Amino acid sequence: MNRRRGLLALASAGAMLVTLAACGGSDSGGGSEGGGTDASGEPWILGTTESVTALDPAGSYDFGSWNLQYSIYEQLLSIPAGEAEPVPDAAESCDYDDPQTVTCTLREGLKFSNGNDLTSSDVLFSMQRNIEIADPNGSSVLLGQISNGDAEAPALADGAIETPDDLTVVFHLNAPDTTFLKLLSTATTSIVDEDTFPADKLLDDSQVVGSGPFKLSQYKPGEQAVLEANEGYDGERAAASPQVFIQYYNDPSPLKQAIEAQDVDIAWRTLSPTDLNDLEGADGVEVVKGEGSEFRYWVWQTATKVGGDKAIRQAVAQLIDRDTIAQDAYDGTVTPAYSIVPPGFGGQKDSFKEAYGEPSVDAAKKILDDAGVKTPVSFTLGYTPTHYGPNAVDEATEFAAQLNDSGLFDVKTEDAEWEEYQTLYKENAYDLFILGWYPDILDADNYLSPFVRDGGFYANNYSNPEVNKLLDQELAETDTAARDEIIGQLQDIVAEDVPLIPSWNGENVAVATDQMEGVEETLDPTYIFRLWEISKSS
Amino acid sequence: MSAGSGSLPRYIVQRLLLIIPMVWLLLTIVFLLLRVAPGDPVSASVGDRLSQEALDVRRAALGLDRPLIVQYFDYLGDVLTLDFGNTISDNRPITSIITDNGGATLTLTVGAFVIAMLIGIPLGLMAGRRRDTVGDVAIRTFGVVTYAAPVFFIGLMMQLWVAAPLGWPTSDIASPITKFEVEPVTHILLVDAFLSGNTEAIGDVLLHHLLPCLTLGLLLSGVFIRLVRVNVLQTLKGDYVEAARARGIAEKHVIRRHAFRNALVPVITVIGLQVALTLSGAVLTERTFNWPGLGTQLYNYLIARDYAAVQGIITFFALVVVLVSLVIDIVNALIDPRVRY
Repeated sequence: MNRRRGLLALASAGAMLVTLAACGGSDSGGGSEGGGTDASGEPWILGTTESVTALDPAGSYDFGSWNLQYSIYEQLLSIPAGEAEPVPDAAESCDYDDPQTVTCTLREGLKFSNGNDLTSSDVLFSMQRNIEIADPNGSSVLLGQISNGDAEAPALADGAIETPDDLTVVFHLNAPDTTFLKLLSTATTSIVDEDTFPADKLLDDSQVVGSGPFKLSQYKPGEQAVLEANEGYDGERAAASPQVFIQYYNDPSPLKQAIEAQDVDIAWRTLSPTDLNDLEGADGVEVVKGEGSEFRYWVWQTATKVGGDKAIRQAVAQLIDRDTIAQDAYDGTVTPAYSIVPPGFGGQKDSFKEAYGEPSVDAAKKILDDAGVKTPVSFTLGYTPTHYGPNAVDEATEFAAQLNDSGLFDVKTEDAEWEEYQTLYKENAYDLFILGWYPDILDADNYLSPFVRDGGFYANNYSNPEVNKLLDQELAETDTAARDEIIGQLQDIVAEDVPLIPSWNGENVAVATDQMEGVEETLDPTYIFRLWEISKSS
Repeated sequence: MSAGSGSLPRYIVQRLLLIIPMVWLLLTIVFLLLRVAPGDPVSASVGDRLSQEALDVRRAALGLDRPLIVQYFDYLGDVLTLDFGNTISDNRPITSIITDNGGATLTLTVGAFVIAMLIGIPLGLMAGRRRDTVGDVAIRTFGVVTYAAPVFFIGLMMQLWVAAPLGWPTSDIASPITKFEVEPVTHILLVDAFLSGNTEAIGDVLLHHLLPCLTLGLLLSGVFIRLVRVNVLQTLKGDYVEAARARGIAEKHVIRRHAFRNALVPVITVIGLQVALTLSGAVLTERTFNWPGLGTQLYNYLIARDYAAVQGIITFFALVVVLVSLVIDIVNALIDPRVRY
């Protein structure tokens, strides 16, 4: 430990000298009032089990990659810690001219860390290449509102982005979409240097360059990434530390040992509930919890005889005891979910609680009796034992037991490993099956459109014209209160039709040594781990 | 030169030529097994986020929708031109995986071998000399337990009961600072640390090697204990040993100069055979200790259903096993004049 502190202190001193020299010699440029680099803390180490697919924004669609990209690049907008609405980042403003047109104005004097100017042309280039490269691991699917929709030859839609001058970017969307500003805060819209990144393929990870609060100074795939404060950055997300090491772990077990031994300063994603409970009592570290947006839910395959019966779906929704599942299967580390939309999102309401109240066998029996359904009802409940962690097995077992103990159901559980599971649930092998979700953007629509529009991405064959109409309305509605109202109606319909049953919402949890500051603030539903806001005191 | 050495060059050429069909067969088997198993790289990564149509578009972009036979010959064609391509899941050149991560597996396995020999050979000798004594039984039991116990279990016990109390590192090949500061010249971190002359880094890397090498070495030592013991027992029955005793040579010299050296010859042969065992043990050891070697990469790419990466890494492993076995055969032929090819 003492040797490690000594080495870190030396590295810190070296980085500070470099920073001071840079500040003394460089032209700070720009007109930004805030920002600059305030990297006066010590270097620190983050341990994580997340993996990185690519550091090129066009090549990834996963937490591990995106979290590095938020530190290396700027986006037009960003979501501050603990908040839901985007604020200016590279852009000083982004506003809707109408529901299909968004105009952004860049901050003056923006530069990439290699000294190249960042202009509107780079913004256009970044989005265009993302769509055209259409990397199989990438997230260009999120840019549907500015794409030509041609799966064979994906490209920017004609006239989708205009750049009338170096500071102005105008987006013309394919359809009204009030979530577009939030999309502009995601890593998929990171701004890259058109003079450095190729237009038709990904750039090698070790060569990526951005304009964000950090520069990538070393990248060993699967081992570690080292970020150093970008002394040329003049935005609001100034780095609080001169250097951050991100250590990648293949398993939660060595990560848990590492944080216990304080070989890392923060462990974030993903320790099991058992590990977290164990660490609650450990010396020198603290389990820090924040609000999360992870969502676990059970999907009805409405194409099956059982799944297609609304009374059965409602009866199961009446019976599920979420508190017991949260406690027994997850050691109380998750929060029961009573809506398809998690708490904290505009328009959210606990529709399932309103519709069904507390779990009740009598109420479930009445639902079935009124519909003339003979009991016990036999059906197959599917789950996957490893993809969502071993606790998913406990959840499935507990849920099935609740249904069987009611006497109204005869549930058979079946499991399959993830790869086979995805095929099986789409082939109607299960009447009811479990899935998990993290949002791409912090908007209620990201919990609605992917699930309830025409069968959802999981092809459960649920389709309701009224739902589709309401989805179109809420996407086009610019008045917040009116939009929230529509979102509330959608949740009520979902609680009535029960195409899926919400189970729980997860927290955003990290384990940090006592010297770390800024951790709690960054643990929010975005799952953006704001490395620039975290520092280590001596 | 030995009587059989005239055929040795021909034997070497034959073995080298046999690598070609061996690699082809292995690639074919791995290709088929990966594609028969459920899932693919696309569903493994984004299967729970995208619709079937979107998944199909991605599969088509990767050529995974083509007939299997087309994919197979396409891949073979690339291999013949030594183009192993990039991984599917994270777009890394296969060759860079071997380069960047092979060094870690190399130092782990070499270190494990050294420990295995340091533990296994003396213990095997002691057991052979003291046949059917309490010491012999204890050593044999130790050998069986270390060989039979799962390597990840031994590793976990080491982390809990050895590393934690002593404050030793429990994972990885070095501290983040060392990995940052040491310039990758050979891409073998231990060697690069020595080349850098950074004594802190050298000590750090060596300390990190201790537990993983000990864990894997214990697994291998079980083999050496049993092998050396059996060979010592056999050589002690030999006529030349009786003759040496009859000439009045002290027992300890009989053991050391006659029995022991001859008992070691088959051990050299077995070392070559143990390379495959070592590599498979290395996969589990690397997982347990978060070791950034090829074993970890293989496991991760298997989970990701990354066909290209798994095929490339397994081919590399096979080549290593074959080449090491060949070297052992050559060494064997050179030191034992009775060996003929």
